[in-house]
Formats: sequence, C-alpha cells, structure tokens
Amino acid sequence: MKREGPRIQVLLRRLSETPQEFLNEPVIGGRGHVVVSALVNDFMTYLGEPVSLESLAPYISSDRGKGRNRLALVMIAIWLLYDESFLDTEISQNEVEPVLRQVTRDLSVVTGAHSFVNDPDRREELVRMFLSRMGLRPSGESEKQAADRLTAISSLERDRLLAASRTAEKRAREVREALARKAAQESADKWSRE
Amino acid sequence: MSVATDENRYPTLTVHGKQMLDFMREHPCAPIFRNESGNRLTSEDLVKLGPHATRVTSARIRNDGGDWISNFIAKTYADVPYYRALGFAPANLEHVPTISRKDLSADIARFVPDSISVKRMMHFQTSGTTGHPLLVPSHPQVAGRYLSYHKHALARFGVTPRNGKGEVGVILLGYQKKCFTYVSVTPQMNESGLAKINLHPNDWHDPDDRARYLDAMAPEIIAGDPISFAELLKLSLSHRPKALLSVAMMLTQGLRDELERRFECPVLDIYSMNEVGPIGVFDPEIKAHILLQDRLIVETLDETGIPVAPGDRGEITVTGGFNFCLPLLRYRTGDFGIIGEFGGEPIITGLQGRRAVRFKTATDEWLNNVDVSHALTGLPLSQFGLHQREDGSLIFYASVKTPKIITKARRVLADLFGGLPLDVELIEAEDKALQYTSDLEPPP
Repeated sequence: MKREGPRIQVLLRRLSETPQEFLNEPVIGGRGHVVVSALVNDFMTYLGEPVSLESLAPYISSDRGKGRNRLALVMIAIWLLYDESFLDTEISQNEVEPVLRQVTRDLSVVTGAHSFVNDPDRREELVRMFLSRMGLRPSGESEKQAADRLTAISSLERDRLLAASRTAEKRAREVREALARKAAQESADKWSRE
Repeated sequence: MSVATDENRYPTLTVHGKQMLDFMREHPCAPIFRNESGNRLTSEDLVKLGPHATRVTSARIRNDGGDWISNFIAKTYADVPYYRALGFAPANLEHVPTISRKDLSADIARFVPDSISVKRMMHFQTSGTTGHPLLVPSHPQVAGRYLSYHKHALARFGVTPRNGKGEVGVILLGYQKKCFTYVSVTPQMNESGLAKINLHPNDWHDPDDRARYLDAMAPEIIAGDPISFAELLKLSLSHRPKALLSVAMMLTQGLRDELERRFECPVLDIYSMNEVGPIGVFDPEIKAHILLQDRLIVETLDETGIPVAPGDRGEITVTGGFNFCLPLLRYRTGDFGIIGEFGGEPIITGLQGRRAVRFKTATDEWLNNVDVSHALTGLPLSQFGLHQREDGSLIFYASVKTPKIITKARRVLADLFGGLPLDVELIEAEDKALQYTSDLEPPP
C-alpha cells in the first residue's frame, strides 16, 4: 500500500449509488441480463486492450448458486473500478485482472453480492480490499492507518461470520435432534401416506 | 413435545373421540396395531386450519406464481440457511438453482427455515424411488392441511366426505412386511375415525379378519397404494366406500378399472410426495393429472435446469407448497411429465416415475420395494438400487464400496430374500433408472 490511491469517500459513495444495470442478473446458462465476461472484456479494453478468451473463463459460470453470487460481485466491482479516480493511479490491465478475480472469489463466499452495495461496512471492506490488493492506500491515510482499518473491518467481519457459523451449527443440530426424537417419528395424521 | 402421550397425540380429544379410538382399537377383528400416533392438533392449530381450508377449496389454480412468488423467494433466501449461503435472492424463479432429493438428504437441517420452532417439529420418513432416504420435517398443522387438498380432489369427483361423530372417516391401507399402524380421529371432521392398517397377514390374528374389520369400520374413504389395493381386491368385504384414494405409486388403468368395478366408487390417483404433499389428481376423462395446490408452481425442466418447450416432456420441478417447515425452491422430483392446460386449468400429462416394483424371495413371497427401502434405511448409503434377474438372483447397487457397509447390506438382503444369490456393483454415476428394477413378472 505504498502508493496513494483515490479518496475512500468517493469510492464508497460510488458503490452506494451502483446503478440497477450493475445489479441485474448475470447471464448463467443462457438466462439473465448481463454477460459478465463481456463486461470484464469491455473494462479490460478500456484499460488497455481486449483480453484472451481463456482469461475470461473465470467470468463464465453455469452455477446458479454460488457462481451467480460471484459473477454478481464482479459486476459491482467493475462499476467500482470504472471510477475516474482510478485513472490517476496508472493501474495496468495485468495488475487489475488477478485482483478482480481473487477479491470477488474471496468475498463472494462470505455474503450476498448486493450487501457490498447496501451495507456500509461491506462497502468499506470491498473498497479497502481492492485498494490494498492493488498496492494502494486511500488518499489522506498513512500506510499503517490503511492497513489497520482494513484489518479491523475484516476481523470484525470474520468475528461476525464465526458467530453466525456457530449459531447456524447450533440451529442445525437442534433441527437434527428434533427430527430424531421419538415423538417426531410418530408423526401426525394425514389422510394419505405417500 | 419431547415425549409423546395421548394428551399431545390428541390434544382436543372428547369423550366421543375416545370412544371412536376404543372402537377401532378394541374391535374383535381389529389388527395388531404396532404403533401410536395422532392428529396432534391443538385448538389454536384448528383455528389456523380453517382459513387455509377455505382458501384451498375456493382458489383458482394458476401455476404461474401469482403475487406470492417473489416474496416467497426473498423470504426463503433470507430464512433458510442453504439459500442464505448462496447470496442475494433473485427476483425471478428462473435464476434460482434447482435442488434434488440428493441435496435434501445430504443435510435436511439446512433447508429448515430459522424462524420455525423445533418444539413441535416431526418428520415423515420417506424411502422414495430415487434411492436417497429422507426425513421430511413437518408439523401437525402441515399434516392437517392434507385433508383440504384431498377434499378438493374428491369434490372434482362429486364426493364430499361427511362422516363425523361415531363414524370412521378414512382407513389407510398398507401391504408391507413391516408397516407403521395406529388409530386416530380427525378433529376437523367432528372426530371421525382414522386408522392406518397393514393388510399383510402378519398383522392379523386371522387373515379373514381383514374383511370383517373393514366391513365393521365402514370407512367413508379408503386410502392406499396400488399394492395394498391389489390385496384389498382379494378380500371378501361387502362395504362400499365413497371413494378410494391411491397415492405413492403409479396406478395402472387395469387396476383402477378393477377397483371401480368392485367397489362401485371413484378411484382417485393422487400424485403426491412427502416433500410437497398432493400435487395433482388424475382425471381419466382427459387422461391427465389436474394440479391441486394454489401456492405451488410446477415446472418441467431439462437436465440443465431450463424449462422445456411447451408440450415437451421434462422433469417435474416444484416451488412453494404448504409445508412451512420445508419451503421448496425448484425441487426436482425425479418424475417426468408434460405441463399443459385443459379448460383453463393446469395439468400434467404422461406422468412417469412412480412405478411400484415387486421382488420375489427365496420362498416365493412377493415383497414391495418399500420393504427393501425400509430394510436398508439404516445403512449410510447416499444412493442404492436393486435389480432382480429372471433367475431370481439379485444385483445390489451401492454408492460406496466400504466393506463394512456392503457386508451389512448383504446380511440385510439375505435376511429379507431368504439368501438369494446377490452381486454387488458400485454406482458410478447418478442414474435414476437404477433404483428398483426386475426382470420377473409379478402376479396380478
């Protein structure tokens, strides 16, 4: 995070104002609104030149579950990276693509893509994560301040996830136990049994 | 409700209800009732069931989701752990991933909404035909809702169940070596009697008691599956119910005709499954199943999850339903059919996938595939199948080759089939066609 990057407030506002076009359904299995690989290619062309077909492979998915969430986050990230304030940072296509791929992969397993638009903490996490992975620090922050803030917000999220995971495990155990009870086995009357 | 007692089996039981239970249980020709169960419906449950019944009987079935579907998707993505892990909720159903019985059986707890209390949770165990044993989470109110759909189906055939106090409303038949049997009453029908009995001679002091008992109970409706109905035809009972309800397996035209001739009443072939309840009822006039649930979307999909073209056969996939313990989004049923419309009503034609298969033991006894599923249910197999060759020998297909599990399966099948020769093969890929097959022709 040696180089100074854009002002974080600008990027946070941009994320919070993500237009509907970037929140639409990614195309999966021929269904949806946005071909994410084409969107990525347009962005890479904007930075330099079109990329090879192979390097677009991570932006194509047939998985309507987690794959869909990742592609949706790629769309949001592209909207973020189009911000003019990145123009002065002279980030190259070669630097951006791996960061885009890795950050969206890492964060999309954590929560719903649209949380990175709707939730202030997640917005900040996404912005700081991108800046950090691109070797940038928010304008006006020291290297240490930027690193500390990212660690704080990420560890808060880690704690939240850990707590949520514990709660989910406890709940799943309760459901399994409830289903295994003798009383549950006795069931209840239906006028037919499948 | 950790311990089941008569009080929570029949929370609203009156003196009349108790007399009905005694009548069914203590009749001189009564079978050996192996289990206990009940309606479990409290006064509060009954109050809630009222509006549901009214809605079901008056609703127009549309099969396009109407105004409830987007809320249903959003709520399911927010409240169900499996879906919450997938991210944000799609606005339209077509962007929702499909799931199958395999997903449910991997960990059913992840499909139960967090907002549902586990206090009164119960389950229906299902062996199914796709080889993934499953405990379906449910609730007394959910079980109680079945009645509305059955009444709705019966009304199409001009039948209105009326039996109430002091009468038996329904008898559910099984014909299995081992069967869950019990007596109960239906509070929504003024405590008319309900009994689940097993026609297998093992459960009777005298096999002739089967007909005597059914005549004495004189149930207004008899529910069963094609195998138990085939056995019913062999009994010399004189009682004529108002209707027969056939569920769980495909009813052949031949058996339907025979049952209708013999009992002089409509025979309803209900397409129903534990995961989602009654989906449709077969109308012989149009040779199609008419959909029964107003809050259930039935799609037909290809292998990739895309809806097939109108008029094409696809895998029946359901969304919605009335089981609030298991809200389903694009659940692939493993059954196939064609979605259409008749007289403004959505229908399924050419339904396939619920064939009953019977297997012959070394002592020439015929077993129901449900018996095989029950026997193997304790084994930790995600999928299994069984085939019987023309010479009677068996092939057991297993999803694992762990020696300990296979040895146990061999022992279970040897007990069940009296030691018929058995080969074991590993299931290499998901193949529904594998589940239960036989080269033998069972007796009619």
